[in-house]
Amino acid sequence: LADSRRAKGGGDEDGPRQNGAAGRRKGEQQKSDADDGDCDFGAGDLQEDDNDPGLRREIRSKYRDLINSVQQNREDMLRPSNNKLTEVLEEANKLFKDVRQAREAALDAQLLVVATDLGKEKASQLFAEGTAFDPTAFAEHLLSFMGLNRLEDGEDEQQNGGAVDGYLPQDAWHRVARRAQCCVRAAPSFHYMMGSFHAEPPPPKQRTERQRKAPGKEAKRIMPTQLKRMEGSHQEATEKEVERILGYLKSYYQDDPTSPISYYEFVIDPNSFSRTVENIFHTSFLIRDGLARMHMDNAKLPCIAPVEEGEVEAGGSLSRKQCIVSISPKIWKELIEAFDIKDTMIQPLNTHNE
Amino acid sequence: MSQRKRLSNTPGSSQGKRPSSSSVAQEEHDDTAFTQPSTSQVQRGMEKLTPAQVDQKTAEVVQYFLVKDQKKIPVRRAELVKHVVKEYRTIYPEIMKRAARTFDQVFGLKMIEIDAKNHMYILINKLEPAEGPPATRSPTNPKMGLLFVILSVVFMKGGVVRENLIWSTLKKLRVDPGEKHEEFGDVKRVVTDEFVRQRYLEYVRIPHTEPVEHEFRWGQRADVEVSKTKILEFMGQLHEQDPQTWTQQHREAHSASGSSQASSSQR
Repeated sequence: LADSRRAKGGGDEDGPRQNGAAGRRKGEQQKSDADDGDCDFGAGDLQEDDNDPGLRREIRSKYRDLINSVQQNREDMLRPSNNKLTEVLEEANKLFKDVRQAREAALDAQLLVVATDLGKEKASQLFAEGTAFDPTAFAEHLLSFMGLNRLEDGEDEQQNGGAVDGYLPQDAWHRVARRAQCCVRAAPSFHYMMGSFHAEPPPPKQRTERQRKAPGKEAKRIMPTQLKRMEGSHQEATEKEVERILGYLKSYYQDDPTSPISYYEFVIDPNSFSRTVENIFHTSFLIRDGLARMHMDNAKLPCIAPVEEGEVEAGGSLSRKQCIVSISPKIWKELIEAFDIKDTMIQPLNTHNE
Repeated sequence: MSQRKRLSNTPGSSQGKRPSSSSVAQEEHDDTAFTQPSTSQVQRGMEKLTPAQVDQKTAEVVQYFLVKDQKKIPVRRAELVKHVVKEYRTIYPEIMKRAARTFDQVFGLKMIEIDAKNHMYILINKLEPAEGPPATRSPTNPKMGLLFVILSVVFMKGGVVRENLIWSTLKKLRVDPGEKHEEFGDVKRVVTDEFVRQRYLEYVRIPHTEPVEHEFRWGQRADVEVSKTKILEFMGQLHEQDPQTWTQQHREAHSASGSSQASSSQR
């Protein structure tokens, strides 16, 4: 490496170096056939400078400075508008004349690596077809795209070290992101619509607590149903009620067999809509079982009467008809008014409430 | 893409593949446990299972992928086998084939192996993004804007860029890797860690640099997800230039999109 650089240095003396690329192209050519080397050292210098530690240090320090300057100012050096890389190489050429020891040569080699790398990039810029891409210009255009509000005062630009002043709107990066979406075939992220619950089962401790609580509530609830059950099952209660109502029907009928009992007057309890509904419900069993029958009177109003003992079998299925009775609180009130029902014909059971 | 073909061909090519996958397996400790089963092994495995079982396992794989995709982290085959496929590993190729079909037909997504060596998969959209403003107002992720800037610079600079150029460009956009950014937080971590793990970027050390320097390249995910042509279009808009003036990049974009169009076979 050192040899080739010396050869390059020799090449410099031959012709003027116009710009970095041209000069180094020549140098790269010479690199390949550079196994000779003109010796630039004067014989007399050898003895004194070889061993002077101060000078050695100085040379190494200068090399390090050069290396640093190339690394720090990389972008600057890349610009085709200047010859800074060339200057660095010329500086290094001069330093090289005083190189004696391996340490310094190593630094020289390092500088060469750094410089050639930079040179390669400069060359690619020069030989690139089409327009070169300038990231600085890109950044400026992008800032405008993002909606930067530039301040009128041009002086501020310089105070910020070249960065344009002004403020970026809050959604600046969202604008870019939105524009980016058009260029990207990303899969849309999957998310549960209603959110997700924690997939793991709750730790066992919590479970046993809940179990302990639940029986407590249930235990309380059991009490009232048990009491109810002491009175007998629902089915039994219904049957009893139906029988009771049949009793009322029969007794009313026997009071006056010739006078038909109005169905509405029979079932309606003017004091309670719910009891009225229950009466209708229980009466329907009598009809179903053929223990009572309904007919229309002269005014086309429904009447109910118990079926005679003998008649039950005779009636059979021939004359059975079905109908549905419905009632609402409004109708109930209307009926009470229409029939002027003051009192209930079916007395309610005292224990039969919720 | 050739990776897709490899996926369906794996039962056939497993003979040749097995030696290479075990030699490479040092990179991925868990993968030594898994070698691609042969076609006959798959067949035998299928005979022992009911269709419902196979469907269930396929559905589990699909769900695993969808959840992993939320963070855009690629799925490793070793993880998939260890955590999801488990004892169904003998019919792994069949499950993957069915999962790919599900993604394709149900979700409009493509399951792609972006790293054939380490067996890593990602999901991408089967469909091109719609022209014009998006139909739904889904919230945009500003990090995508940051990524887009970096990808653009790398592409326009020929595919490789030293990190300093990226940092200096970002600084001009008021994003400083040394400071906490109000939108992105720890910018350096987002760029060099998160984007790299998602395979959007590659952040590779340059040898012989002191202090250590890295260079940025496009990651494997970016290669399949991001359209170079569209980036060039955007550049044209920004700079108010015809995209074709950047002839090298234009050529690169059209050769890249040419190959990806050829490979997006109908399935």
